[in-house]
Amino acid sequence: MNLVRAEIGRLTARRFVQLMLVLLVTAFGITVATTLAGSHQPTDFEIRVAEARAEHQRADAMRWYADCLGTDRTGTPTPDGRYQGDCADLDPNRIDGSDFLTGVFVFDRQIPALTYFLIAFLCLFGFLVGASYIGADLTSGGMTNLLLWRPQRMVVLGTKLGTLLVGVLGLSVVASAGYLGAFRLIAEVRGLPGSPDSEFWTDLAGTVSRGLLLVLMVTALGFATATLGRHTSAALGVAAAYGVVWEVGGRIVMGIVDVARPDQLMLSSYVVAWVGGEIRLWALAGDCAPAAGSGYCDLSYSILWPAGLVVLLGLTLLALGGAFAAFHRRDLA
Amino acid sequence: MPAVIEIDGLRKTFTGLRRGRRVALDGFDMRVEPGQVHGFLGPNGSGKTTTLRTLLGLVRADSGRMALFGEPAPQRLSAVVSRLGAIVESPQFFGNFSGRRTLRLLAVAGGVSPTRVDEVLEQVGLRDRADERVKAYSLGMKQRLAVASALLKAPELLILDEPANGLDPAGIRDMRDLMRDLSAAGVTVLLSSHILAEIQQICDHVTIISRGQRVAAGPVEAVLAGFDHREFRIRVADDQPRAVELVQAAGLPVAVHADHLVVSGLDDPARLSQLLGEQGVWLRELTPLTPDLESVFLELTGTRPHPGVPRQVDDSVRPNAAPTDDPLEITVSSDDKRAAP
Repeated sequence: MNLVRAEIGRLTARRFVQLMLVLLVTAFGITVATTLAGSHQPTDFEIRVAEARAEHQRADAMRWYADCLGTDRTGTPTPDGRYQGDCADLDPNRIDGSDFLTGVFVFDRQIPALTYFLIAFLCLFGFLVGASYIGADLTSGGMTNLLLWRPQRMVVLGTKLGTLLVGVLGLSVVASAGYLGAFRLIAEVRGLPGSPDSEFWTDLAGTVSRGLLLVLMVTALGFATATLGRHTSAALGVAAAYGVVWEVGGRIVMGIVDVARPDQLMLSSYVVAWVGGEIRLWALAGDCAPAAGSGYCDLSYSILWPAGLVVLLGLTLLALGGAFAAFHRRDLA
Repeated sequence: MPAVIEIDGLRKTFTGLRRGRRVALDGFDMRVEPGQVHGFLGPNGSGKTTTLRTLLGLVRADSGRMALFGEPAPQRLSAVVSRLGAIVESPQFFGNFSGRRTLRLLAVAGGVSPTRVDEVLEQVGLRDRADERVKAYSLGMKQRLAVASALLKAPELLILDEPANGLDPAGIRDMRDLMRDLSAAGVTVLLSSHILAEIQQICDHVTIISRGQRVAAGPVEAVLAGFDHREFRIRVADDQPRAVELVQAAGLPVAVHADHLVVSGLDDPARLSQLLGEQGVWLRELTPLTPDLESVFLELTGTRPHPGVPRQVDDSVRPNAAPTDDPLEITVSSDDKRAAP
C-alpha cells in the first residue's frame, strides 16, 4: 500500500504527466470551443426547410431501397437498380431533417465521430505517459533508488504498471464523461440533441467502453516497450518505426507482390475493428462469384471486434510478458 | 553475531555485442563485521561498484555467496533491507522534484515516518534548500541528498559509494564527522572512496580490490604495517658520502638523494644516530617514513603514476593467488606491477 501511495505521488508529480494533461485538456477545450462557436440553435424556418429537403431525399431513397431489396430477393436487378452494396445504407429511415441543417451541432449524428477523436487523444496520452513514466525512472536512477528500498523487482514494476493503468483509466473515465457531457450541453443550448434512442446510447456506451480498454492496452504497450528498451524514446521509436516500416512500407511492398489482404496484417485494421465494432475491407485479389446479372464481384471482407480484441490483447500481453521477464533478469545501471 | 556483510567467491562477467566479454568480479571476497567503518578501495573499473550493486540486488552475480546480516543476498534482501541504507555511484534524482519531495516519496515507499525527512535534511545540511528543485542543486548538494536518502531508514548498515564526490572541503569534513557520529552510534559503515586520506582518517578496516579480486583486507594499521619497511630520511651536517659509507658498512640499505638519504630496515633510530655520531658525522634530520594508505594502495594495485606514461584504467595488477581468510592478507604479484622508477 505504501508503494502504491508513493507511485501515485510520483505519477501525479511528474512534470511530463502534468504537461500532457494540460495538452489533453487544451485539445478537448479547442474541440468543444470550435464546436460551440460553429453551432447555433436552428430557427423554425431552418428546421422546416431541412425537413422538406429530407422528405425529398427520402422519396428518392425509398425507390433505391426498394430496388436494392428487389435485387436481393430475386437475384434479378430492376432496370433502375443502381446500388450494389449493403441495402441498409439506403434505408430511408436513416435520413433525418437534421442532416440538412448547416451550422448546427446535432448530438446523435455527430458524437460518434467525436468519440473516436476522444479515444485517439486518450490513446496518445496513455502511450506517452506510460512510456515516459517507466522510461524516465529507468534512465534517471529513480528505479534504482526505489529498488534499494523495495528490492522486489516484480512487485515494484507491477505496482508501477497497476498505478499507471488505474490512473489512466480514472482520468479517461472523467475525461470521457466531461467530453460527452460538454457536447450534450452544447446540443441543448446551441444545437439539437437529435433523437437518441436506447440503441444509440447502447452503441455509444459500447464504443466508449471499447475505447477505454484500447486506451489501457496502448498505455500498457507504451510502458512495456519503454521497459524493454530501457528508455522512453524506445517506445516512441518502436511506434514510429512500426508506422513507417510496416503500415506504410509494408503495405506498399505487399501491394507490389500482390498480397491479397494486406489490411488483414495491419494493426490499424484491428484497432478500428475493435473500437468501431467492425471494419469492412477489400481484398486486392481473390476468387469470387460475380453477383448474378450485375457482374459485380464483391471482394470485401470484415474484421469484427472479437478478432480486434484477440490481436490487441495478445500483443499487449506478449509485450508485458517480455518486459517483466527482461526486467526480472537484467542488470540495472 | 554474524558478519554484517559476507561475500565469498563473487564472480560477475559482463558481455556485450560491442565490448565483448569483461570480467568485473573474479572470485571476490569481503567481510564486514558489526560496528566497523570499513573502507572499500580500488582503482577505477576494479569492481567496487559492481560489488555493491550485486550485493544490493541490482546486478545478478554469475556465482558466489553473499549475505547481509546473516541472510543470503539477494534472495532474502527484502527481509533485511529495512536495516540498511545505501547509495551507489552517482546519485540521480528527478530534476523537477524538490529534495524534500524526493525524500518523502522514498519515505512513503519504505514506510518511514515523514518526520524523519526533516531530521535527515537537517543532518546533511540541506534544511534550508530542501524545497528547491533537485536540478538546481550542485553535485555536492545532490550527494548530500543521496546520503540523506540512505539515512532515512536510520539504518544499522550504511553503504556509501563515493559519498565525498563533488563535496567542497567543508562538505568533506561534514561527511567525515557524520561518519564518525554514525559509527559512534553503532552504525556499521561500508565506505567506497577514492579519497584515501579520508579513508585513512575515518575507517578502521579496509578492503582493497584490483581487477575484480581482493588484494588486501584487514585493520587499516595492519595493512599499513605490512608495507612499513622501517625507512628513515636522514640529512647530515656535511660529508654525505661518508655517511653513505658508514650506513652501508653497517649492512643497512640506503638510497641516495640530492640532499638526503633514505635508510631502510632500521629497527632502532638511536643505533643510526650512534653509528654516525661516533664517526663525527652529525645528523641534522632523522624522520621516520611511515607508509600512508595512498602509497600502499598505489603499490598494491600497481597504479602508481609514472611521468610520461599515461596509465589506462585497466592497468592495475591482477592478484596471482586466491585470497585467504586471514585478517590481513596481501596477495599481489610483484611481477605484475610496473617497475618502480
